[in-house]
Amino acid sequence: MITLVDYNAGNVTSLVYALKRLGAEFQVTADPQVLKKASKIIFPGQGAAGAGMSVLKERGLAEVLQKTCVPFLGICLGMQLLFDTSDEDKTEALGLVPGRVSRFENKGFKVPHMGWNLVKYAGKSPLFEGIPDESFFYFANSYKAPLGESTQGVTFYGEPFSSVIQKNNLFGVQFHPEKSGEMGLRLLSNFLAL
Amino acid sequence: MKLLPAIDLMDGQCVRLKQGDYAQRTTYTWSPLQMANLFEKMGYEWLHIIDLDGAREGESRNKETIKNILASTGLKVQVGGGIRSLAQIEGWFKLGVSRMLVGTLAVEQPEVLGEAVKKFGSEAIVVTMDVKDGVIRTRGWKEAAPINIKDFISRLISSGVRSIFCTDISRDGMKDGPNVELYEKLVRDYPEIYWIAAGGIRTPYDRKKLANVGVKEVIIGSLFYEGSLLTKRIIPCLDVKEGRTVKGIKFLDLKDAGDPVELAKTYAEQGADELVFLDITAAKESRPTMLDWVRKVAEVTSIPFTVGGGISSVDDIRSILECGADKVSLNSAIIKNPELINEASKQFGAQCIVAAVDLRKTPKGWKVFIKGGSEETDWGALDWIQEVERRGAGEILLTSMDNDGTKQGFDLELLRAVKAHISIPVIASGGAGSMQDFSDLFQENLAEAGLAASIFHYGEIPIPQLKQYLASQSIMMRL
Repeated sequence: MITLVDYNAGNVTSLVYALKRLGAEFQVTADPQVLKKASKIIFPGQGAAGAGMSVLKERGLAEVLQKTCVPFLGICLGMQLLFDTSDEDKTEALGLVPGRVSRFENKGFKVPHMGWNLVKYAGKSPLFEGIPDESFFYFANSYKAPLGESTQGVTFYGEPFSSVIQKNNLFGVQFHPEKSGEMGLRLLSNFLAL
Repeated sequence: MKLLPAIDLMDGQCVRLKQGDYAQRTTYTWSPLQMANLFEKMGYEWLHIIDLDGAREGESRNKETIKNILASTGLKVQVGGGIRSLAQIEGWFKLGVSRMLVGTLAVEQPEVLGEAVKKFGSEAIVVTMDVKDGVIRTRGWKEAAPINIKDFISRLISSGVRSIFCTDISRDGMKDGPNVELYEKLVRDYPEIYWIAAGGIRTPYDRKKLANVGVKEVIIGSLFYEGSLLTKRIIPCLDVKEGRTVKGIKFLDLKDAGDPVELAKTYAEQGADELVFLDITAAKESRPTMLDWVRKVAEVTSIPFTVGGGISSVDDIRSILECGADKVSLNSAIIKNPELINEASKQFGAQCIVAAVDLRKTPKGWKVFIKGGSEETDWGALDWIQEVERRGAGEILLTSMDNDGTKQGFDLELLRAVKAHISIPVIASGGAGSMQDFSDLFQENLAEAGLAASIFHYGEIPIPQLKQYLASQSIMMRL
């Protein structure tokens, strides 16, 4: 079953409602045993990297995520924690995708990066089915993932950064698809259809 | 119209120059090969490379780098920078480069240019024409050419040249949009030329404008490395009382304006980027009603929305966020208890916390007011703004109570005064009356978002029209 990881670090309600609007059947859990049996995993992230990793480790969720072979979608912090490390709280993250998540430098742009920005494709991800290149999605992030082998989408905010990544079964989006209008819903539905 | 990404090479590294000034240079962390690989992944066919060392000293140090790019990617490459002889041109074509750009050579050695076009074809030789204030500049932009644009182009055409890359260098790497009028004139006067443009191209709409006037190719340079495509946001604000939206002038003569759920849907359909709901029900027992409509709005809304109105505790915030609101707006509560910002930011994340700051100009400068702008606090505008930022607010909703309801425009004076002191996003509120007001706000980059109520509620300014208008002004908009 499609499983949403909710470790109570923040608000998953928007995502729950979005999945309901898509008519998806899913469960919400913080139980690693339940997570192990998931057919697909969605991991929304809110709050900070340090606290997030602590909770994942304490609850035995980190291990399950690190070993999973089913399609996995990390959203926002959920994508950032896939990387080796994050400068936020000097966190050692899940280490599944090489790279270091770092903060936007204040180059005359406001931080957090807040609002609608476009995603320029760097590949043909199944997540993009039916979504035109350079579509807008809603971002609310102070930290960003580097460009690299796993980059599938690039966004520009004083510098280019990875807004969509894929490595094997692991997908990550920096933006909030549940809050990105029709395109966001389409992306979620593409993930559910994998 | 084709898009070409660009790499400026200096000593084997990617660099960016501001307005062609070598002293204003930044070195990019990724290697040219890494950038080329990414560009290929992004679907680009061609790569535009400027050999900055060649342009300055007349000799290339970057041949090895370009050789690697040609060997490792399927990209077609065009090279420019310090090309002074036919032998040099020949050398680059032998390496596998597909097009050569010549600038100074075209001005100073027209016979060599003619030979090159004859030998390699008019599609393989592109003449670069860098103009500033109607004058052609050569030798890495250091000198003015002794020939005017009209005579120059005539000469080029008679040499067999059919591709010209014209950059308005006053726009290169800077914040203004491209010089569309210049390209329009060039295409109109010389329709036989394949025109290539660069300089100041910021938004997808800039590109569209150039395509519309007949430009065939555009080189995207600084946008890639330093630009931002974050759009400015248009945010309607709705007042809710006892579960129904209401309309009125400054809380007087309130009329029922409908179901918040229906209005949320309508605004989202019209292209609103975000919504702000203010619950103006006075009584505290109204909380269940509030949570009820918040939940119902969240169930149907796919764009972010913020809820404010009497929120005063972490528990309040939690229950509102758990109903599906994306952000909460805090006003009087944080004046009374500033620590609430810290607690809430820590618990829920700074991006959920909007500090609503209402300001009025007094003899002692701009001061913070609460209770709908009626009660003055001890806080000065700047001090309070910096305080909320310091404590972890993710955004500021800045309302000019002086301008609110006047439709005289946003309070630009106030926004200018605070701009340098805020590093978190600002939503400007108070005074919007026309499309021009939003344009003034965004052209000066005084806020990341513009909020308004009556102009949208009374249908005075349709959101789609507003956004089209702003996009045409080179303001980045989600259309």
